[in-house]
Amino acid sequence: MADSAAGRAAPAPAGATWLLTVVAAVLAVCSTLCLALVMVVGTAQLPGNPLPDSWSSPRVQDAVPYDEVAGKASIPALGAVLAACARTAWRHHRLRSRATRALLGLPAGPVAVLPDELPYAYALPGKPGRVVATTGMLRTLTSPERRVLFAHERAHLTHRHHRFLLTVQIAARANPFLRPLRTAVGYTTERWADEEAAARVGDRRLVARAVGRAALVSRGYAPAVGIPDFASPGPVPRRVAALLEPTPAPRNWPPVFTAVGLAAWAAAAGATASALSSANAAVSLFLILKAATPLY
Amino acid sequence: MTEADAGRSGRPNARRAQGELESEVLAALRSAARPVTAAEVQERLGRGLAYTTVITILTRLRAKGAVTRRRAGRAFEWTAVADQAGLAALRLRRLLDAEADREAVLARFVTALPPDDEQLLRGLLARDLDEPEG
Repeated sequence: MADSAAGRAAPAPAGATWLLTVVAAVLAVCSTLCLALVMVVGTAQLPGNPLPDSWSSPRVQDAVPYDEVAGKASIPALGAVLAACARTAWRHHRLRSRATRALLGLPAGPVAVLPDELPYAYALPGKPGRVVATTGMLRTLTSPERRVLFAHERAHLTHRHHRFLLTVQIAARANPFLRPLRTAVGYTTERWADEEAAARVGDRRLVARAVGRAALVSRGYAPAVGIPDFASPGPVPRRVAALLEPTPAPRNWPPVFTAVGLAAWAAAAGATASALSSANAAVSLFLILKAATPLY
Repeated sequence: MTEADAGRSGRPNARRAQGELESEVLAALRSAARPVTAAEVQERLGRGLAYTTVITILTRLRAKGAVTRRRAGRAFEWTAVADQAGLAALRLRRLLDAEADREAVLARFVTALPPDDEQLLRGLLARDLDEPEG
C-alpha cells in the first residue's frame, strides 16, 4: 500500500475500508446485473419489443424462470437504479468543481484557511487536493491539535477516501440494502485518517482530544455535508474511544475464529457467492438466448 | 442550484472566468482608498469590460455579502467588506448551505454530533484525558 514508503504498515481501518467497499461494489454490480437479466427476459415477452422474436418463444420461456409482474416491474426499476447512480456521480462531480471554484483567487497551496466563524474543516479532493479549514475551527484547537487536523485531512487526500465514499454511495443507490455499508465506510475512512494522524504526530491521546474538541465545537451548526449517522453511540465517540485504546494491529485479514474474522470471511464469501451466482445466471441466459437466436 | 448559478452559462470555463472576474473586481475595490462607483471600478480594471458586466459582478458580490454599496447622488458607491479569503469563505459557505441535507462525499474532520453523543464524548474526554488548557 501507499504507506510502505513511510516505513509503516497500513492502519487496521484501511483493511476494513477496502473490504467493505469491495463487498459493496460487488454486491451492487451483482444486483444490478440480475435486474438487467430479469429485464431482458421480461422485455422479450412484451408485444412490440425490439428484441428478436425467438427470445419470447415458449421454449425460452420454459428454460428461464419468468414472472410476468417481475419482468415488467424490472424495466422501470433498472431505469431508476441507473438514473440514481448517474445522479450521485454527477452531484459528486458538481460539488467538487463548485468547491474548487469557490476557492478561486486564494493563493495556491496545500492548505486554505478561510476567515469564517463557523468551525469546519474539509479535505477537498482535486489536483492537487487541498485542506480547507476555517479560522473558527483553528481557533478552538491548540497548535499540536491543529497538526492533528491537518494530518487527518491529508490522510483523506493521500488515500483518496472520496473514491471509497463515492463507490459506497453509488452502491447504496443501486441497492438500498447496501446503505449500512455506506455508513460503515464513512466511519472506517474517518478511523483510517485518525490512525494515520496518530502515527504522524505520535500521540493517540492528542488525536482523541483534537477530534473530541472539534466535534464539541462543531455541534449544532456544522454544515451537513457528509454522511449523517444517528446510530448510537455515534461515530465521533467511537472514534475517540478507539483512539484511547492502544494502536490496533495492522493486519488486513483477521483469523477465522474470532468475531471479526467470521464477519470478514462471511462478507467475503457472501460477496463471492453472489458474484458467482450472478455470473452463472448471466452466462446461462446468454447461452439460452444464443441457442434460441437463429443465425442469419 | 442557487439563483446565481441558474443564470450562468453551463460551460465550466465560463463559470471559472466569472469566478476570476469576481476576484478581480474585489481586488480593484480593495485597492481603492474610498468607496468607488461602478464606472471607476471599470476604469481601474482597465481590461475593456462592459459597464453592465461590472454592475452584474458587483451585484453578485453584494448578494454574497462580499461588498456593500451606498447611494451617492445618482449612482451607487461600492466598498469591499471581504478580502479574497473572505470571498472564498462566503462562496464555500453558500455552497455548503445549499448542500445541507444532502449527502455529499467531501470527507469532513468531524460529523455533526447528536446530543446523546455529546454527553458520551464529554465523559470520555473527562475520564481519560487531561482537562483542555484554557
